[in-house]
Amino acid sequence: MSVQNVILKLQEFWAERGCYIASGYDSEVGAGTMAPDTFFRVLGKKPWQVAYWQPARRPDDGRYGQNPNRVQKHNQFQVILKPVPVDGQLLFLDSLIYLGVDIRIHDIKFDDDNWASPSLGAWGVGWQVMCDGLEITQFTYFQQAGGIELNPNSLEITYGVERLAMFLDGKSNLYELDWGNKVSYAHLKLEEERQFSIYNFELADIDMLRDLFVQYQKEAERLLDRNLFLPAYDYVLKCSHAFNILDARKAISVAERTALMGIMRNLAARIAQKYVMQTEGENHG
Amino acid sequence: MADLLFELGVEEIPALAVSGIRDQLRDLFLSRLDQDQIAHGDIECVASNRRLMVHIAKIPEKTASKEETVLGPAKRIALDDRGLPTVALKKFCEFQKVKLTDVVEIETPKGKYLGITRAGGGSDVAALLTAGIPVILAGLTFAKTMVWNESRLPFIRPIKNILLLFNNKPLDCEFAGVKSSNKVFGHLLLSDSYFEVNSFKDYIQGLSKNFIILKEEERRSKILAEILDIEEELECKVKLDDEMLNYYLYSNEYPVVFSGSFNAKYLSLPAEIITTFMTHEKKLLPVTDQSGKLTNHFVGVANIPDENKKVSRGNEKVIQAAFEDAQFFWDIDRKEDYFALKQLLKNVTFQKELGTYFEKVERLAALVDLLVNETQNGALRAKLQKAAFNCKNDLLTKMVREFPSLQGIMGGLYLQAAGEDKVVWKAIYGHYKPRGLTDEKLEDLGAGILSIADRMDNIAGFVSKGIKISSSKDPYGIRRDANAVIKIIIDLELDLDLAPLIRLAVLNFAKNDADLERNFKTIRELLAARLENYLKDYLKYRYDVVNAVMGQDTMVIRDKFLKAQAIVKLIDSGMIEPLTALHRRLKNICSDSERCKFSEGLLKEKEEKILSDVFKESKSRIDDLIMNKHYLQASSEILEMKPIIDRFFEKILVMDKNMPLRKNRIALLQHIDGLLTAVADFSLLVEIKPGGKT
Repeated sequence: MSVQNVILKLQEFWAERGCYIASGYDSEVGAGTMAPDTFFRVLGKKPWQVAYWQPARRPDDGRYGQNPNRVQKHNQFQVILKPVPVDGQLLFLDSLIYLGVDIRIHDIKFDDDNWASPSLGAWGVGWQVMCDGLEITQFTYFQQAGGIELNPNSLEITYGVERLAMFLDGKSNLYELDWGNKVSYAHLKLEEERQFSIYNFELADIDMLRDLFVQYQKEAERLLDRNLFLPAYDYVLKCSHAFNILDARKAISVAERTALMGIMRNLAARIAQKYVMQTEGENHG
Repeated sequence: MADLLFELGVEEIPALAVSGIRDQLRDLFLSRLDQDQIAHGDIECVASNRRLMVHIAKIPEKTASKEETVLGPAKRIALDDRGLPTVALKKFCEFQKVKLTDVVEIETPKGKYLGITRAGGGSDVAALLTAGIPVILAGLTFAKTMVWNESRLPFIRPIKNILLLFNNKPLDCEFAGVKSSNKVFGHLLLSDSYFEVNSFKDYIQGLSKNFIILKEEERRSKILAEILDIEEELECKVKLDDEMLNYYLYSNEYPVVFSGSFNAKYLSLPAEIITTFMTHEKKLLPVTDQSGKLTNHFVGVANIPDENKKVSRGNEKVIQAAFEDAQFFWDIDRKEDYFALKQLLKNVTFQKELGTYFEKVERLAALVDLLVNETQNGALRAKLQKAAFNCKNDLLTKMVREFPSLQGIMGGLYLQAAGEDKVVWKAIYGHYKPRGLTDEKLEDLGAGILSIADRMDNIAGFVSKGIKISSSKDPYGIRRDANAVIKIIIDLELDLDLAPLIRLAVLNFAKNDADLERNFKTIRELLAARLENYLKDYLKYRYDVVNAVMGQDTMVIRDKFLKAQAIVKLIDSGMIEPLTALHRRLKNICSDSERCKFSEGLLKEKEEKILSDVFKESKSRIDDLIMNKHYLQASSEILEMKPIIDRFFEKILVMDKNMPLRKNRIALLQHIDGLLTAVADFSLLVEIKPGGKT
């Protein structure tokens, strides 16, 4: 099955189960979780069902296009179900069946793996879902976001689109995947992976990125003071991406890491509080 | 008589937590039954990652009836001077809803009381269970919990189902928003839906029809048998340790062993890397040939039969990708100048308040310096100091950042690949060993010395920081570090007095003299306690054997170990009885007297002269034996003097009226006592029967 068919099928499946199909966020994010459709909407009381395809950037995972399984930019399919449905695991298995997986002949395991994003003050409890040893999905019961305890909790299902496509297509190298209608993954992505790996590991301007981090931070703070928490959040995402490149460049010491994470976490917490104050305010008139 | 069948159905509990939760559940059930005074037969408690089952036999439907006494006020308070009831007694009756005429006098050890007796017990067990089970479940504790539904009840993973049958009938209870029923789910992938259960027999049959192997023992033997089949088929050895077996046992309800292979080109990677990527990253087992060399095969455990080889083929692809990653880390790390990484350790915190790793390795070099002196290994000084200075550099490599369990090992491998001296790379390679007392015997001296330095620095740092350990709490692994020090000393036969080492390690952190002394003492005691534990719990030496060697106030760990070993042999050879009798007799006399001076001129009787001569003749030989740590021979030499000593006691009155003679005889005995005590305090041995081990 092609990559685009995986995405289309998942969109169909979750749309039929009441999800609103969103677009991925248009700013660099390390994971679908960081998109506002998750970060904000898991806060507060209102039910929320969303599914979206999100490209995710992880500079440190770049392998110059040389690794069959790891890239600095991959695609996630993110589902948020709030409140947690009673049979989340079975729903998820149904989605695999819908994709054409015969679950009776593949070893599908829920393997203990708790998820945390210290820079967003977010964490959850759950598993990585393994299929014949391949991690295809992260399955998480959200407990906290922006430092706020969640009530109700959300179930987050994050499919790794390339991994799923590889599994369904029996490929052991993601560059051999068909994105759709005979456009190959390698044709689309190989050069991108090569260039960004060189940039992320070797050429990214450390001083400039440090400087940008500070400027983004200041902008986020300024916007927060004006109660514009949505654009403020965009700047936290920009901080996070700058941080990730600095990290890939090995430019961040352990002590500094803690400090920079703390800055992002505090901003995320203030943003989350503003959001809750405003939306819960609406709820209570 | 009825039986109770309970099953808690959950979403996958982390594999390594399951058995602990099962044990907690059993204990909580038993103590609840006790508390509710419910008699019962055998309890069986088994678990997988998706279900915890408790089956209890022979439970009555009513608790046993018996007479119950309720004590009221003391008689002198309950009745006034005229023998009429006081307010206290009236309140008691009101509270207990009884009439004054129901009150009787009750004799107690504290005097006469008034109170009532009434029929107790006979409670409805079903009702007690309905009320008790939610309390039992709420009593389970977990390292980390979560909430998921409106009940907001914290648990390790979401609860899906509660089966509760008493006397083969469903019993109602509710926990975390889940109501009990007589239904159970089967295998996650192989079973379609819930099935109904009306007896324990139904339950067992239903599970097996639905691809659940309920009992741990059955899952274990299935896994082991299938691994054995593969070993025979491929003429190989599968490397399975307890942790991985436990992982497989509790992550599969229907375990099936499968095998696969990978491109042999990856075997050019160091074996440690291959093994770590397989086990930690991919939960697969390495396979070696009969000589112990890694092959390009692997073994894993699936939760379904793999007749179509889908699982095996899938895992082959996955392991290939993992090795590609390993190759990437290995290649990229080797491009760095390993020794240059040391400067970057200035940015890496060792522990809050304890400085950076750069500071730590500076301390380690000093400790290593002292250690090579103390163990007469001066020739290794320069190489081991180089190792000490650079042993933490690999914390900055990509491989170790990805797999912290490879720290130390990677440093060694990178240096080996760079052509560094064997002593240096081997010391770094092995300086995190041993990980536990049951690890195989250590062999590399340099690694042992560096490891002792590193452990002692950890211990001194944490103790100085005020970290305390208790039987259940040791967050920084202080105990593990101390155990390692003991094991290294014994394995490598190091004649090392730990006192100067502890002092130097503590000095690095001490703020003042009082601090230094206090922490020195704490660590001394800690190490003594760990040695005691090593002898008693690990080597299974009897407590009195250990007591006999622990009394002496030295920190030469190996001596105490060799002495205990000698005593065990003495016990087994039957020599301990006369030695113990002798030492007790000597101590009886010597311990009451102050130290006396011996003078040959004061010897009067034949028997004491003979004893003195024999002692003089044997002493230097025995001293030599003791000095050379031949404690067994030293003890038997001492024992050879026993007939002469016995003769002495027979014929000579030690407590002579003549004070100088008396003191001289005591002095002679004190010398002999001294010889024995230099080996051990044999008087503390309480059992002289063979078998120095428990």
